[in-house]
Formats: sequence, C-alpha cells, structure tokens
Amino acid sequence: MNDTGAKIAQYTVTVVVLLTLNFFLPRMMPGDPLSYLLGEPSADAPMLLTEEMRANLLAYYGLDKPLLGQYWDYLGGLARGDLGWSIYYNAPVGSIIMGRLRWTLLLGGTAAVIYIALGIGLGAVSAWRRGSKSDVGLLLTVFSLGSWPPFFLGMVLIVFFSYQWGLFPIGGAQSAQAARIGGLRQVQDVAYHWVLPGLTLVLTYLPGIYLITRNSMLSVLGEDYVRTARSKGVLESLVLLRHALPNALLPIVTTVAMRFGFMIMGTMFVEVVFAYPGMGTLIYEAGAARDYPLLQGAFLVTMIFVLALNLAADLVYGWLDPRVGRERA
Amino acid sequence: MTKRSLTLLAGLLVMAVVGGCGRPAPAATLDPPTSTAGSGAAKTLTLPGDDWGYPSPFAFYSRGPGYIRMSLLFDTLTWKDEDGVIPWLADEWEVSDDGTEWTFTLHAGVLWHDGEPLTAEDVAFTFEYFKANQGAFKWSWPVNKIESTQVLDEQTVVLNLTEPVAGAHEGLIGSLPIIPKHIWEGVDDPTRLRSEKAVVGSGPFKLLDYSKEEGRYVYEANTDYFRGEPTVDELTFIKVENQALALETDTTDYASFWGREIDAVEAFRNKEGYGVIDGPSFWVLQTIFNTQKPPFDDAELRRAVAHAIDRQRIVAQVTHGGAIVASLGILSPFTDWHNPDLPVYEHDPERAQAMLEKAEAADLSLRLITTAGFAREAELIQDDLEAVGIEVEVQTGDYSTIDGLLREGTFDLAINGHGGIANPAMLETPTWPAQTYENAAYDELYREQAATVEEEQRRELVWELQEIVAEDLPVLTLYHPKMWTVYDASVLDSWFYTQSGVGFGIPISMNKLIFLP
Repeated sequence: MNDTGAKIAQYTVTVVVLLTLNFFLPRMMPGDPLSYLLGEPSADAPMLLTEEMRANLLAYYGLDKPLLGQYWDYLGGLARGDLGWSIYYNAPVGSIIMGRLRWTLLLGGTAAVIYIALGIGLGAVSAWRRGSKSDVGLLLTVFSLGSWPPFFLGMVLIVFFSYQWGLFPIGGAQSAQAARIGGLRQVQDVAYHWVLPGLTLVLTYLPGIYLITRNSMLSVLGEDYVRTARSKGVLESLVLLRHALPNALLPIVTTVAMRFGFMIMGTMFVEVVFAYPGMGTLIYEAGAARDYPLLQGAFLVTMIFVLALNLAADLVYGWLDPRVGRERA
Repeated sequence: MTKRSLTLLAGLLVMAVVGGCGRPAPAATLDPPTSTAGSGAAKTLTLPGDDWGYPSPFAFYSRGPGYIRMSLLFDTLTWKDEDGVIPWLADEWEVSDDGTEWTFTLHAGVLWHDGEPLTAEDVAFTFEYFKANQGAFKWSWPVNKIESTQVLDEQTVVLNLTEPVAGAHEGLIGSLPIIPKHIWEGVDDPTRLRSEKAVVGSGPFKLLDYSKEEGRYVYEANTDYFRGEPTVDELTFIKVENQALALETDTTDYASFWGREIDAVEAFRNKEGYGVIDGPSFWVLQTIFNTQKPPFDDAELRRAVAHAIDRQRIVAQVTHGGAIVASLGILSPFTDWHNPDLPVYEHDPERAQAMLEKAEAADLSLRLITTAGFAREAELIQDDLEAVGIEVEVQTGDYSTIDGLLREGTFDLAINGHGGIANPAMLETPTWPAQTYENAAYDELYREQAATVEEEQRRELVWELQEIVAEDLPVLTLYHPKMWTVYDASVLDSWFYTQSGVGFGIPISMNKLIFLP
C-alpha cells in the first residue's frame, strides 16, 4: 500500500512540475501569439495588424495581464477541465486536440500494433534460426529499410503507388464524398487512405523492434533453462513460445511503451508527407505560432499519454517478471 | 529538418518524376470521376487547400485563404473583378464631398440562405456589430472609423464615418461581410458561435461540410443566388501537401504557385490540357535596416549597402527567375499606386566601398537576422557585403522569433517579407514588423494620404511616400515573387486574377466570380 502511495506521490509531483514548465516555457520563447497570425511569409497573407489592433487582441486573449495572473487563470481552467481557446485556430483547444488525436491513434496505433507484432515475430524467428539464410535475409532487409529517412520512404511510396501506378491516393485521411456518406463506405475509404502512411510507419519502426527482439532472444536462447528444456525433449516450438519468448520480452516491453508514448510526435513526418491529420503537425504548428493555450493543451495530453504508458509498462513488467514485485515487497 | 525544407525536398522529388516521365495513368479513386460534361450531371470542382478555420465571418483564420472560404458564403456591398470595383449587394452608392457619408442602394430581392430577406436593416446592423466587437476578429478592417448608420428605407442605408477614409472601398465597403441581423443580434461573443447559423449568409454557396483537422470544406451551390446560379454545383477544398502532384494526379483541378516554384509551372506549360495564368505579385522580400542605432542610423551607409547588394543575382540564383527585382518604394508594380520613377542604386561594389570609406565606416561587423526560409538570400547578401569589407554574421530563427526580435529592435539588419503591397496602407510602417523608423515628415504625409479620398490627389501623396522610402532607405527591397494559377482546362477555365487582389488585397486567383455565370 505504501508502495502504491509513493508511486502516486511521485507521479503527482511529476505532473505539477510538468504543468508549470508547460505554462512558462512557451512564454519564454521570443515572439508572441500575434506574430504568426498575419505575418508568416507566404503569398496569401495580405493583412497586417496595426499596433492598435495588436493591443486590442492582446487584451482580448488576456495576454496583457501579469504572468502570474495568467498562470492562475490557466490552473483554474484546468481544474474546471477547460483547456482554453486556441489563438491561431480560433477554436476550443480541447476539441482541436480530440479531432487530431483520433487520427493519430488510428494511424499510429494500428501501425504500432502491426510493427510490434511483426517485429517481435520476425525477431524471434530470426534468432531461432540464427545464421540461416532466412535470418541473414531478414537482417539485411531490415537494416536497409531502417537506413532510409522516413519522409523519403513516404515520398517514394507516393511516387510509385500513387503517381505511377495510381493504386492509392496521394494523401488525406478520407475522401470528401466518403466522409459525407458515412457507414461502411467511409470505413473502407479510411482504410484505403491508411495504407501508404500506415505502411511508411510500419517499415520505419519495424527494424527497431525486430533488432531488439532478435538480440534479446539470442541472449535468452543461450541460457541454461532453455538448454534444459530442449534436452528434456520439449517440442522446439514450445521452447520458443513458453520458455524463451516470455523472458526475452522483458526489455522489449520498455521499448514498446516508450514507442507508444512518442507515437504522438512520431507520426509527424508521415502527417506532413501524406497531408494526414494528426498531433505531430499540430504541436509543430502550435509551437511555430506561439499559440500558448494550444501548446499547453497538446503538451498536457502528450504528457498524460507518456506517463500512462510508463505506468502501464511498470505494471506489465512486474507481472512478467515476478522478481520486480518481490524486491519491493 | 524543418517542415519547410521537408516540403521542398518532396517537391523536388516529385518534380524530378513529373519532368522525367511520360504522362502516367491517372490515379485510381474509389469514386468514379464526377467532373463536367453531359447536361444534367452535377459539376464538381476540387481545390487544394488546408484548414483556414470555420468559415463564419468571425472564426476564419486571419489569412487570405480563410477570407476566401468565408466570401463564398457571405457578400459585401461592393466587390472586385479583373478591372476593379463592381456593384454587389449595393447596386448604387453615393459619397458626400467630404468622404464621410456613404449612401447605398441595395439590390432588391436578395435572400439569406434561410429564406429571410436581406434588407437595409441587416447592413446597418452589420456595421454597428463589427464596430462593437472590434476585439473579436483579427482582420484589419478600419471598423473603428464607423460612426453611425441610418436606415432610410428597406433598400437604402447611410453609413457615416468619423473621418474621410481613403480606400474605404477596399478596406471596409468591399470586404466587410454583411451578416444577418436575425441571427447575430444578441450574440455576445461572435467568435464562439459555431452552429450552422453562423454560416447563414447570402453568398453563392452554402456550407455542406467542414472538417478542421482534415482541412476539408464542401460547398453546394445556392441556386437562388441573386447574381445568377453558380456554374459549379459542388465545390470541395481538400488538404494537399504537394499541389503539383495533386493536379497531375487529377486529385484536384487547380493549383497555385509562387516564386521558386516556377519550375513546376514551366512543366505544366508544356503539358496538354492545363491552362496557366501569370499573376501579379503583391508580396515583397526586404532588407530592414535598424535606423535607430549605428551604423545604419546614417542614411549614407544604407545607400552604400544598396550599391553593394546585387539584387538581380538574388532573383536569378535563389528564385530561378520566379521573381522580379522589387520596387524600392515597396508598393507592387502591379498596382496603380506604384511609383515607377524612383531613384536607382546600381550594383557597384567600388562605389559602395568609396561611400563607406568616406563615411569612415571601415571594418563594420553586423548581425543579420532572418528565418531559415531565407537563408540562401542571407548568404548572398553576406557575400556581397563582405566584398565591400562589411563583416556579416547571419542568425536564423523561426518566424515568431524573428518577429519578436524585430519588434524589440534588437537587430542591425534583417530579411523579412510581407504581403499587402497592392494597398498604400502598407506604407504606414515601411519597416514592418519593426517599429524602428522615425521620420515625422513621412508620418505626416502618410496621415494626409489616408484622409484623401480623391484618387488622383491621393496617388500623388502615395508616390511621394515611395520616393522618401527609396531615397531614405529604411528598407532595401529585394524582390517580388511572381504568382501563377495552373488549372485543368477541361473542368473550369474561367480563372482570373482580381485587380489589386480580392477584398483588401488577397492576391490568390480564387474570386467567387469565377464560379458565377
């Protein structure tokens, strides 16, 4: 019980510190949220703010108040579950983030499930058949895939699958028609639009999981208990699944949890290349625009995500490896 | 790797493929092509875009494309075509001699999308409402100059201004969207109204669908439109990363390019089935001098720098010819406000050096700030200045950082760009966003022209302002990037560029007139 209490306290302190940093760090960057509204160089922004309008707007968004007052407002809003109003996007921060997060979870989440399952499977097979043709073949393929810059991989897929062969759309999350028709048509269309960006993510992140699994498996396969199981005449496949893999998974759990945590930013390059909605570009744009409320909200969500996964990894670890729990007891 | 350079790389890759291969098979889509041909078939048009906010008059992002999305739903009293101002909701108007009293006669029988009639009451309400809610929108309409309104009868309304406003036609009358009184009356914070009511306008289209995260807008034609039924039944904007690729794969029917994207435009020029329109340039890249501290508080040194910098080389090497050398008076050569007769500073390093020596400014060492997007321009300027003995350290930051430094005045030299140069209002702060230039005579002249309603008189004053800028050089302008529209001619070929830009000066070729008979 004490142990759990300490854990909760630890996480609470982390959250408070992060919330505070979250508020002050964006405000320490040079420039303010009005810089980007009308000014970023582009051919289509004809309007400039007069100094009078700037002052009006700063007041409208409460940015002319003392910093501590703003901090207090921010905490008060959070307590009420109100993330604030985005200055650049001119909409509630909560709804902007939810709108984007859905797509990130769909794109990054499904891709993660695929590359993790595939990475673990292939890594285990590779280690089991160490030195064989299939192991060397896999290793080479994975290494060469892993050395491609991810956005370049995405562009290559577009050039061939969309431009040359016309098999998949060049980008977007769904077509305008499907979005309005809804139902099964929409599901099909979303899946169809998922293929290229999803494939890019899978190919990009697969090598990491594969290599960790392979290494971890190789060390486990050399252990005494595996040799014992084999010498007892246990079926090869059972040795792999029951004895070797569960133990090899320990270091993988940490990696996977971290991967999931950083998924929010990790899909950014794919979002850019495929014009796919998501959190990565949102956070990038919020930073560029110094959109304080949106930055705070987005970081908060990312933070909760990372912390929750850390917690989950802690728990899974304890369950996979009983020694972890025993040491603490 | 920044997003910008990523985009650029993607563009290069695609261009290499587009240029190098023959015409590929069109991209397959789940949907059968629904474009054009055959009477009775719905005509749909797909345009490239991104999210520019909910298209209500108070929620769109304060950038050109945001205004364009909104302008499809809402109308203004007057509008603009290729040649200038045309009647729109107002059939006729009269201005009093002192320029403060405007009387509009509205077009009869105009209906809101919900079927209610649009009357003088709505127009009067609109002006009062915008005046009362000045903090609620981030668009520089001079609504603070509105004094009062009077409704004379159902179709006649008078607008009184606090003082004569030059260019009121563009800034106020020709770009302020008229909103329905029966919806907005009683709405306290207009930016937060997001229901379907917020997009009930009188415009040629109605909003069918909007997705913020996907950057999608779907409009359907308003078949009862008072200026004629739109020629396009459905208009869709989708988010696109690479406009050339989207047009090439028939994902979209239109693309807009500028500056160094000239290479993509040239590729389309030689392809069958595409139309290309050369646009004007209402954007300028300029070198800003900090005139408040040495060394550039001395105008002679600024002129020396003007002789040292080879602007032609920047245009050729950085933009590949996708720009023209800028007018030293800032305003675009594509407007009537532009003064073509300004001083010239030829590229002459020796002369520059002599001027520097005379001013006893040898061994200068400076800091030049700019965004990563203009690093190449900065490099060439660094090169040119080092050739005359000025040491330059280039520092880049993201846009908001540079904007912040410029506003604080912590810089010697900066490269920054902005639009709006079809409109003399841009001359208010030649060094924008820096507020470093102080010249009382210039400010006085600016105020005088801003209150001069008579066009010829105003032009003389605006020309004089440009002369001062070109002589005193608070900024040395570099180039105006060109713009192009490329479109699929089989779908729609009525594209054009609006004189001095849509509304207040939006340079893109998306005027709602294009979709009208």
